[in-house]
Formats: sequence, structure tokens, C-alpha cells
Amino acid sequence: MPKDLHDNICEKNVFSSIYNKYSKDVHNYLYYKYGEQFNPNDKAQDAFVKLWENCKNVTLGNARAFLFKVANNMMLNELKHQKVVLRHQKVKPRDYTNETPEFLMEKEQFLIQYQKVLQNLPEDQRVAFMLNKVEGKKHSEIAEMLGITRKVVEYRIYSAFKTLKRELEGFKI
Amino acid sequence: MNKENLVKKWLADELTDAEREAFEQLDDFQLHKDILDNAAYFKSSGFSQLDDFETFSKRLDEIAKPVRKMTWVKPFLRIASVFVIGFSLYYFFLFNNVVEIQTLASEKATIELPDASKVIVNAMSEVRYSKGKWQQKRELELQGEAFFDVAKGSKFSVITSEGTVSVLGTQFNVKQRGSYFEVECFEGTVKVTSQNTSEQLKAGDRYRFSNGQVSLGNTLYQQPQWTKNVSSFDRIPIFEVIAELERQYNIEVEMDEVQTARLFTGGFVHDNLENALKSITEPLDLDFTIEAKNHVRMYASEK
Repeated sequence: MPKDLHDNICEKNVFSSIYNKYSKDVHNYLYYKYGEQFNPNDKAQDAFVKLWENCKNVTLGNARAFLFKVANNMMLNELKHQKVVLRHQKVKPRDYTNETPEFLMEKEQFLIQYQKVLQNLPEDQRVAFMLNKVEGKKHSEIAEMLGITRKVVEYRIYSAFKTLKRELEGFKI
Repeated sequence: MNKENLVKKWLADELTDAEREAFEQLDDFQLHKDILDNAAYFKSSGFSQLDDFETFSKRLDEIAKPVRKMTWVKPFLRIASVFVIGFSLYYFFLFNNVVEIQTLASEKATIELPDASKVIVNAMSEVRYSKGKWQQKRELELQGEAFFDVAKGSKFSVITSEGTVSVLGTQFNVKQRGSYFEVECFEGTVKVTSQNTSEQLKAGDRYRFSNGQVSLGNTLYQQPQWTKNVSSFDRIPIFEVIAELERQYNIEVEMDEVQTARLFTGGFVHDNLENALKSITEPLDLDFTIEAKNHVRMYASEK
């Protein structure tokens, strides 16, 4: 019986620990999947608001799955086949002390191509690849987040990598 | 180990030291490395930041307030409905407690009343009484025909749309079919109130109101014949006889050019349709044909 009280999402402190645990992942999931222009910060928070409104009907164990599903649905509603835009940070000259301007320009070209390939990747592959290689999430963590198996995560990352390699091979930097 | 497997293991961070050396020896090692290194340029935190919980919880507070306004409605409705149901059950049991018995065509029923009085109900009839009130008042409503064997006690009344019969303790038959109203007394005394008059019947007396006329007569039986599964009639119009036949057998009788006001004296059994039809048609010079299962046609005999 006491266990139920602690697992009640409607309690503010339980809810805030859920927010702190999952909010970044939900945000990143939305960002890498759908890009920046549809305000993944807002949508991620909307998903948590929905969780709060339904706190009576969702158990602690189901909270993660609920959040990802709701966040994804909210984004899909807004999207309707818009193109994904993922920006890249501009290359700052002071990152490279000894390199020539030509090198910097080539690198910028590389990054522009990279952006193109990244945006055209299948969403699932892009999400898995970025969460793992950029955000440092382990395969098992990603699998749990998205409700899929490790093998699937590995496959998606591998496929994304192969596409990137194929499309970026021509660049020599 | 082939190249692709090395790449896969590298991507999953599962290379052994030996494998790692082999991987770094590959031609396109640099490209592999560049791909991973440059992914960092697309990191989300460069472009989109998530609010912390403090900022977020302000949102929650804004939402919480409007919802609260309606949360009193549901519990209020729940409590109200409990009262409504409670009252209707209470009312139903206290004021009604009505027992209703209905018989269908070709069906008879025997009822025992709360005071051990017995009622035998003929086909297509209905009896209603209030169980809870029976101690104070022995009163029931009748539509159709029933035989009453009343236990001695306070006044016992049978109310029909055509008249009321009251007794103290006796046996009698009440028949009300449409505007036809008949009471036969078999034991004790029976008071019949109908058409603004009152009659006292003794054992063997019969009161009848039919076709707008009141007539008094006798009965020689100890009990109405229909309780013994026979219908008997003494100078009764044919249409009444046929109506009873239809009720007992659950059939429809079509009369082709028959004078249905003619009077009939005789009877028919309840357990054999053919015999019953013969009993009616022969004395009247009529004939019949049994068409579909529940349909009979009657017409003048062609002899």
C-alpha cells in the first residue's frame, strides 16, 4: 500500500522527478526527428502538461511510453509533411588555429552536405544515430526510450552511418 | 574479421583492442572518424533548449485553475442520483408493492392471496392487487374472468370496469369481457354493484349484464365449468362464444356471413380444437375449415 503513494504521478515531487528524468530525452527525440522549426521545447513541455492532466490514469511505469507517444502525436499533428531542417553550428575560425581559409570553406561545404544527408535520412535512423553519437546515449537506453530492441537500434545507427559515408565519401577534408 | 563487422562493432563500442588496431588501419578510417566527429555540429543544445522544471511548473499552475471550477459538478451529480434512486425505490415499495398477474390466450393461472384466499384466472385476463395493503383492505382489480374462493375475513372486493363484487367469505365467479359482465355465486353471499344498482346473490344465483340488459338467473354447477377445462354457455350470443374459443385456443376465427348475435346454449372442451369447433358449429348449422395453424373460418353449412 505505501508503495502506491510514492508512485502517484499526481504528487508534485514524483512528477518533477519524472520531468527531470525524461524531459531532455523527449526534447532531443523531437528535435532530432522533426528539426528545430516546430519548437520541440514547447511540444516536449506540452507532452508533460498532458501527463499532468492525466496523472490519475497513468502509472509510473507507463509514464515514459506515454510521454513519447503523446509528444510524437502532437508533433505529427502540426507537421503534415513539412521538410525537416536541422541546422549546424557555424564553423568558427578560432576552432582551427593553423588552417587556411580554403580549408575552412571546404569544411563548411562538408557540413552543408552533411546537413542535407542528415535531413534526408529516415527519421528513425536519424534519431537513433544522433541520440547515440551526439547525446551519448547507450544503445540500451535508446531502446528503452523508444520501446524497441537493442538490435533494432544498432541496425538503425548502422544504416544511418552507411548512408552518411556513401554521401560524404567524395569530400576530402 | 571483415570490414563491415569491424564498422558495426566500432559503432556499438564493442571493439577489442586487437580489433580496434585493425579498424584504425583501414583506408577510410579518417572518413569514419570525420563522420562521427562532425555530427557534434548538429547537437540540439546549440539550437533548442528545454526549460527547467521551475519554468515548466508555471505552465501547470495556469492550467490547474480553470479545471478546478468544474470538479464539484461530478460528485454533486453522483450524490443527487443516489437520492433520486433511493426515493424512487422507497416510493415504489411503500406505496405500490403491487402484484400483477396476466394470463395469455390458452393459459390459466391459480393465485394464492396473502390471506390464503384462492383465485383461478381464466385465459386473457389480468388481476391486480396491492400486497402491502392486503391486511387493511382486501381489494383487487380484475380484467377478464376469474373464480374466487375467499377466506373468511374482512370485506373482499373485486373491482372491474363494469361493476364491483363484494363478499365476506364465499366462492364466486366474475366475468368481464368488453361490456359483458357476469357474476355467479357458488357459496355464501355476494353483493354486486353495477349500473347504479346493487344485487345480493345467494349460492346458485347468477347476475348478468349483456348487450345493455341486466338479467338474473341460476346456475346448477358447484364451480364454473371453465375451471374444469370446459366452457359452457346458456343463451349467450355467438360472438361471445367465439371470443372465448379464441382465448382458450389462441386462434383467430373468421366468420363468413354468420349472424353473430344469435343465442347459443352449449359448451366446448379446452383440449381438442376440432371437437370444440364441432360442438359449436353443429347446433348452429355451421361449418368450419381450419386454415393455417391458428386460423379458422366459419360459414353457413351448405347442406
